Amino acid sequence: MSAPSKRKVPLLLGSGKSIALSRGGDKKVTLNLTSMIDMFTILLVFLLKSYSADGQIVTVSDQLVLPKARMEQRVELKLEIQVNNSVIVVDGDPVVSVTPDLLSSGNSIPELVVRLKDHLEYSRLTRGTLTEEETKINIQGDVDIPAILLQRVMASCSEAGYATQNLAVIKTETLEEGDV
Amino acid sequence: MAKAASGRSRTGKHLPEIDLLPVMNLFCCIIPFLLFSATFLEVVVIEMAQTEGVSSAGAGATANLMRSEEDRLQPKIIMTQQEMFIGTVSGTVHVCYAQETVVDGETIITFPWDSLATDITEVYELLDEAYPQIDFHKITILTVEEMRYQNIIRAIDIAGEAGFDQPGLQVAPSTAVSSAMRGGN
Repeated sequence: MSAPSKRKVPLLLGSGKSIALSRGGDKKVTLNLTSMIDMFTILLVFLLKSYSADGQIVTVSDQLVLPKARMEQRVELKLEIQVNNSVIVVDGDPVVSVTPDLLSSGNSIPELVVRLKDHLEYSRLTRGTLTEEETKINIQGDVDIPAILLQRVMASCSEAGYATQNLAVIKTETLEEGDV
Repeated sequence: MAKAASGRSRTGKHLPEIDLLPVMNLFCCIIPFLLFSATFLEVVVIEMAQTEGVSSAGAGATANLMRSEEDRLQPKIIMTQQEMFIGTVSGTVHVCYAQETVVDGETIITFPWDSLATDITEVYELLDEAYPQIDFHKITILTVEEMRYQNIIRAIDIAGEAGFDQPGLQVAPSTAVSSAMRGGN
């Protein structure tokens, strides 16, 4: 068994003496950090610009593609309804399956109304009274849902006591014709 | 590299170098933190006015809008699967025809939105000029049951840009929408 080589490990990153010994003998190899600093500076400026101290308080489901709009009104933490072409989800719980029957009429959806009323009643019991802010609700709708489904969900919210319905969208600066 | 700047070179030939390693260390701390906490998709909301129910009588739904002068004068963006109109108290104006676009192998209905942007801005200016005492914000999107959600949001967005930033939604069967168009606003 041969003894370990006594050759020095050449790379000493971060020591201020980055020296690599080549086979040919002693040859100083310096790492040029300037270009990396440039890149990091650009990345840092970009990230600082997109940094939001408030964080994201709304979780968008993987099952949804939210539409884009140039709105400015910030989202607040409210009860969430997620609607796509298969199911209506309230606060994470699937409440109603979307069937052709559901899309055939334009009134409120009884199961959804019951669920929303329960939630409102629970809020009333736990907090004593309801402010106007607590009667707001956020609706996350998939881009592909038909208008009748949205209308039924909104009508259900109104019937349950949620007077103000907010439609969640992804903020964008410009809208292209291709954004369909 | 990265020799501490002593003010003078040992040989006198090289310029002093700035030690970039502390800067690199700082960047290596800040960038992962910012990457993890960055929000690239910002979710915002559109606050909707009280929704109107589906009216089988079509133009009957508009009777509910006669609540105030602004309500009476508020325009409507009327979208069917074939075309788009703007309805005002003065009548209904054709905006554009729908067009079919294939997205991921699926044919969807969309509209040339520039036409709507031009026409709705014109409507806002005309209303503002004719009724300077009223601050117009309300608008109703009247559409057929099958209309895609993206189109509704797009119409709301364009109306908001023009100044109508309090949208309401009415959904009605195609026959009722046609009836509403014939009856004007």
